[in-house]
Amino acid sequence: MGEADNRGGAAGYNYAHFDDYVAAGDDAADEAAFWASPRAGQRAPDFTLPRLGDGADVTISDLWRSKPLVMEFGSFT
Amino acid sequence: MFIYTREAHPGENVPGHDSFERKLACAKLLREEAGIGRDILVDDLDGTMHRAYGLMPNMTWVIGRGGRVAYKANWTSAANVEAFLARFLAAGSEHPTGTMPVMYETQQAEFRYPDRKRFTEHLSRNGPQAAAEFERAQQLWAGRPPP
Repeated sequence: MGEADNRGGAAGYNYAHFDDYVAAGDDAADEAAFWASPRAGQRAPDFTLPRLGDGADVTISDLWRSKPLVMEFGSFT
Repeated sequence: MFIYTREAHPGENVPGHDSFERKLACAKLLREEAGIGRDILVDDLDGTMHRAYGLMPNMTWVIGRGGRVAYKANWTSAANVEAFLARFLAAGSEHPTGTMPVMYETQQAEFRYPDRKRFTEHLSRNGPQAAAEFERAQQLWAGRPPP
């Protein structure tokens, strides 16, 4: 799992170099985290995040209360 | 809904986030460059929501009405999500009279066909670091034993 000391914090999460991240095996650890996350049929974790643009807090359980919610995760790169 | 997480391939132009303000600025850059019209929610600097859903860089989840996971994929295929949604939405309304839908779970391999040259060009807009580090990562992956 690579730099185990900082994987739990912002510095480890926001790694600076992709090759170092792979060399440490953190990509494999993250894949394992995906498979350890909730399965189909299990309750989805609820969070409140700010919406880009107006900064309004959005609680995702409010979005799936009345209809299914599709969530894509990603970044600029 | 789009969840902005962390930069998978940091570079000179968009480095790894060191503040929430920088993270917001990168999310705006993504919205403008990719032309994302959906609402974008920005995770916190620690990636708390991203961790809970599994840390992959471009995954898609579908949560059913009421809050139970209906679909999770560690890579996003719009066609695959659309096909699933059509079946999922039909299950609640189009079953034969006298029957009820009963959920079961599948796990299956899917395939994608990345164009490495095009992807490297895509990374290069973030400066030479992102492309060079991906090149080295490919060498590291090639040296790994098969799973």
